[in-house]
Amino acid sequence: MSSNTVAISIPRLIPRPTERHWGIWSWITTVDHKRIGTLYGVTAFLWFLVGGVEALVMRWQLAMPESEAITPEVYNQLFTMHGTTMVFLVIMPLGAAFFNWLIPLQLGARDVAFPRLNAFSYWTFLFGGILLNVSWLVGGAPDAGWFGYSPLTANAYSLGDGVTYWILGLQVLGVASLAAAFNFIVTIFNMRAPGMTMFKMPLFTWMTLVTSVLLVAAMPVITVALIELQFDRLFGMNFYNTAKGGDPILWQHMFWLFGHPEVYILILPAMGIVSEVLPTFSKKPLYGYPFVVFSGITIGFLGWFVWSHHMFTVGLGPAANTAFTISTMLIAVPTGVKIFNWLATIWKGHITLNTPMLFSLGFIAMFTIGGLSGVTHASPPTDAQQQDTYYIVAHFHYVLFGGAMFGIFSGIYYWWPKMTGHFLNERFGKVHFFLMLIGFNLTFAPMHWIGLDGMPRRVYTYAEGMGWDDANLAATAGAFLIALSVLIFMINVLYSRLKKEKAAADPWDARTLEWTIPSPPPEHNFDQIPVVKHRDDFWYKKHPELLHEEGHDTAKPLGVPHGAQADGHHSEGGYGAAAHAPAGHGGAGVHLPGLSYYPIIISIGLALAFGGLVSTIVLSAIGGAIMVWGLLGWAFEPATEPAPGAHH
Amino acid sequence: MHSVRKHTRRLNPALLGLVLTVAALAASACYPDNPQSTFGTAGPVAKLQADLFKFIFWIAVAVFVIVEAAVIIFSLKFRAKRGEGLPEQTHGNTKLELTWTIIPALILVAIAIPTIKGIYETAEPPSGSKDVLEIQAIGHQWWFEFRYPDSEVITANELHVPTGRPVVVKLRSQDVIHSFWIPKLAGKVDMVPTRENHLWFQADEAGVYFGQCAEFCGISHAKMRFRVIAEEPEKYAAWIKGMRTPPDAPAGTAAEGRTLFAGNCSTCHTSDSYRDGAYAAEITQQDNRFAAWLANPDPEGPTASRIVSAPNLTNFGERITFAAGLRDLTRDSLVEWIRDPSSIKQGTHMQAHAAVYQETDDNTAKLTDVEIGEIADYLLSLKPGEGAVVETPDAGGATGAEKGRQLAAANGCTACHSTGDNTVVGPGWKGIYEIAATRRPGLSADAYIKESIKTPAAFLVPGFGPIMPPFAGLSDKDITDIIEYMKTLK
Repeated sequence: MSSNTVAISIPRLIPRPTERHWGIWSWITTVDHKRIGTLYGVTAFLWFLVGGVEALVMRWQLAMPESEAITPEVYNQLFTMHGTTMVFLVIMPLGAAFFNWLIPLQLGARDVAFPRLNAFSYWTFLFGGILLNVSWLVGGAPDAGWFGYSPLTANAYSLGDGVTYWILGLQVLGVASLAAAFNFIVTIFNMRAPGMTMFKMPLFTWMTLVTSVLLVAAMPVITVALIELQFDRLFGMNFYNTAKGGDPILWQHMFWLFGHPEVYILILPAMGIVSEVLPTFSKKPLYGYPFVVFSGITIGFLGWFVWSHHMFTVGLGPAANTAFTISTMLIAVPTGVKIFNWLATIWKGHITLNTPMLFSLGFIAMFTIGGLSGVTHASPPTDAQQQDTYYIVAHFHYVLFGGAMFGIFSGIYYWWPKMTGHFLNERFGKVHFFLMLIGFNLTFAPMHWIGLDGMPRRVYTYAEGMGWDDANLAATAGAFLIALSVLIFMINVLYSRLKKEKAAADPWDARTLEWTIPSPPPEHNFDQIPVVKHRDDFWYKKHPELLHEEGHDTAKPLGVPHGAQADGHHSEGGYGAAAHAPAGHGGAGVHLPGLSYYPIIISIGLALAFGGLVSTIVLSAIGGAIMVWGLLGWAFEPATEPAPGAHH
Repeated sequence: MHSVRKHTRRLNPALLGLVLTVAALAASACYPDNPQSTFGTAGPVAKLQADLFKFIFWIAVAVFVIVEAAVIIFSLKFRAKRGEGLPEQTHGNTKLELTWTIIPALILVAIAIPTIKGIYETAEPPSGSKDVLEIQAIGHQWWFEFRYPDSEVITANELHVPTGRPVVVKLRSQDVIHSFWIPKLAGKVDMVPTRENHLWFQADEAGVYFGQCAEFCGISHAKMRFRVIAEEPEKYAAWIKGMRTPPDAPAGTAAEGRTLFAGNCSTCHTSDSYRDGAYAAEITQQDNRFAAWLANPDPEGPTASRIVSAPNLTNFGERITFAAGLRDLTRDSLVEWIRDPSSIKQGTHMQAHAAVYQETDDNTAKLTDVEIGEIADYLLSLKPGEGAVVETPDAGGATGAEKGRQLAAANGCTACHSTGDNTVVGPGWKGIYEIAATRRPGLSADAYIKESIKTPAAFLVPGFGPIMPPFAGLSDKDITDIIEYMKTLK
């Protein structure tokens, strides 16, 4: 093939998928942010079940002292994979599911800035997760902890391939996170509806932006650390090889310089969700909006100066410990500001205690406990007793489960009607919430005292007579209650699918733009790109009298019939009547990005190329070739097919 | 109004629940007798840490009650009622925002001041403390080595300290990161390879305190424990003296056990650190053993190391526990341990690497029950003896080949080298002297063997990996005697 024909022939290697594709092919080739959001959500939920089962097996083993139900080898793999899974395969991608679904809708946009890159992020996340978990099937999962402390990860101490799978899986997942983060930053900066200045953006969009900026800055740090470790393990280099003068503390600094911002990457999206749910079900605006935004930004910024509080016992010396104590305590201030503003939001509101609201209130209640226990180990002398004990396990589960997961469940119940067009059942929802709340506290509250009672973490068993038996048994019982509550959630999803209790465009009398369009939204989202004049613009379109009362610009918001009243179900007003437009009618002439095979092709190539490094280099070569092919194809495929009639 | 009153009544159980939760949290401090309770403090460092925790805890309780009560009360009290319009649309209040920024900041300052004071007070013993005892602790997978440089004493897994005297423990690790933690005496500090950390503590009361490794360090992290035995200064001095006193010569089964120990265990386990110069030699030996393991860490590999670093067993019979604090020291447990260490602690380097555990189907010791019992009897007999006679292998006045034979057994040469021509780990010694003369043209057999013992990697016999550790503890005269012994093996 002569070189001058390459440019033409490559795109023809695979004909562009068209709307004729249906079923599984429509999902494989989709670039629709809503479908990609669903894929993220479903996949992350499946990993949530995997990580949950890992936790249950560990709790089963720890129910009794001196138990030998599983071997230490298996236990070490379980806690390593439980942590890695819940962080990288569950909470991060569940956040991404919400980003995908909501950011274009809250901004009044038709898709994200780079739809194919978005699909690529999802597929790369999927294959990265699979690569990580393939290790279970081929001789043992990683077993050096989710924090992978050097030199335990060196070849001499981790003889199998588990740690190598861990490195390579995380590298692939890092590519997915970075691509997604760039995508959302560009989308939020460039695709806001006319009139939506930064300080008119919904809080969830703000927290997505902060999270994405953190990701862009944090992922490269762990990538570099992992590359060094990968070179140590695969090519005999000595970055962390203590026998050749490598420094194990270098790994810890790199890991936690990534790891602490990562904590905020996990929690900020949930804080964004809560900041949407509380105002809606209190029928009040978010209290202190600019303070909540700036406290989020401050948390994101200060999050870079606290990493060594994970290393207070490493022996960095009293001066370093003092510095990191001060920075760590500082970060409690903006966190407190958020909590007080949420409380002020519900103060004197008209509160509806439905499932999404209960989970958001549960978030505040549980996250506060995690925050307060956090202050106790911001103090190095007390941390010296708490570090690496069950007290820490209790602390971060209050933050990441009681916090992040409760927030995510709140978001699931809140946006489910928007995403699917029907409600989740309230009765099942409340049973889910209360069971999970009780199970969660039964599991993790006792861990505070077994930690203070001297039980270290990451131990597969413990001696009799230490005084830890009852609390451990309670924790195990609680873990199974949590499992039951998750089962009830799944039953709720199935039941609600069958029952199909239809949801209107704006079922909660909410405030942001996604509620102005039908549920579920048409593929093109908005018939007309909305024009925004105020923060919570939709709310003021439903309640124009408030503008007058509050002394805002009294000019009528665009497109609102004078005197339109909210009736609590949906709005008549504004946004080109999109709320009532059938999907098939609206959006005629809207040019949407075309379907594409290339995102999944590149992702497959990428995962194979990395997978080859731990199996056979031939696989890397094949994966690399597939990647190059996919990249060329992508490059020569226009984002939007010029040919008419290929799509709506 | 009516409904408001109803709601107010409903608040009581909620608040009661809150109070009970706090009470339960506070009750966590009520079990100071548990072996690793951080509240059962027995010295100034742990006490400072516990007191500071309690101070922060009660502040946290106050904030906890305020926030949780607000969540519960607000969400019940302000529930939407049918037919009401919109609530007042409040957007914020800068004064309030400043209030709840500044007040928490002030509270944190109040916590930061004793915290920073505490950081420095727990870092070093109070200035002007006299008579600080320095001990070195070295972490190994999965046991602790303790060295007393002032007294030239080495032991493992049981740390003896005098009461009422500040102790500074210098912390190092030979392999991966461990963490040294005695909850009732002091919070943990990590043991990091390539660095030396330290912590200090003081035991105010005599007693046995539990310690445990707190940093994940591999398969048997859960079973890496130790004891601190704090005793009155006189008793402590007596213990140190005992560690410098050799045991009486073993008799009966223990004497048989001694021979078996020399042949199967003594390459890695030293048991005679009361000898002059043994302290320095043991430190070198331990490093060499580790280097031998690190060069060939894979127990399944073709050149698997048969040598690993191991606890010093000097006066082992004095111990109250063994296997890193896992078992009380009894003959039965010891027999169980020697036969199959993984029945007590999985993944030990001893079982994975030592020659005596290889070639059996289930990796148990290649010894009869009687032999294992004899080794146990020998180990239990290792207690400071009556006389101060230092019993070294040449105590019987043996010279030449006989002394060489004793040295070869005592230094564990015969654990890896048979006296026939078969290979155990290293080459058999039958006819070794003649063979040595032919190995390097121009190099005499004597010179070749001497160099091989001092720097084993200098000459490698084809088919054997670089796994033998250097034996720096042997004098030139010792080596000459061993060569004399080799000459007798034809």
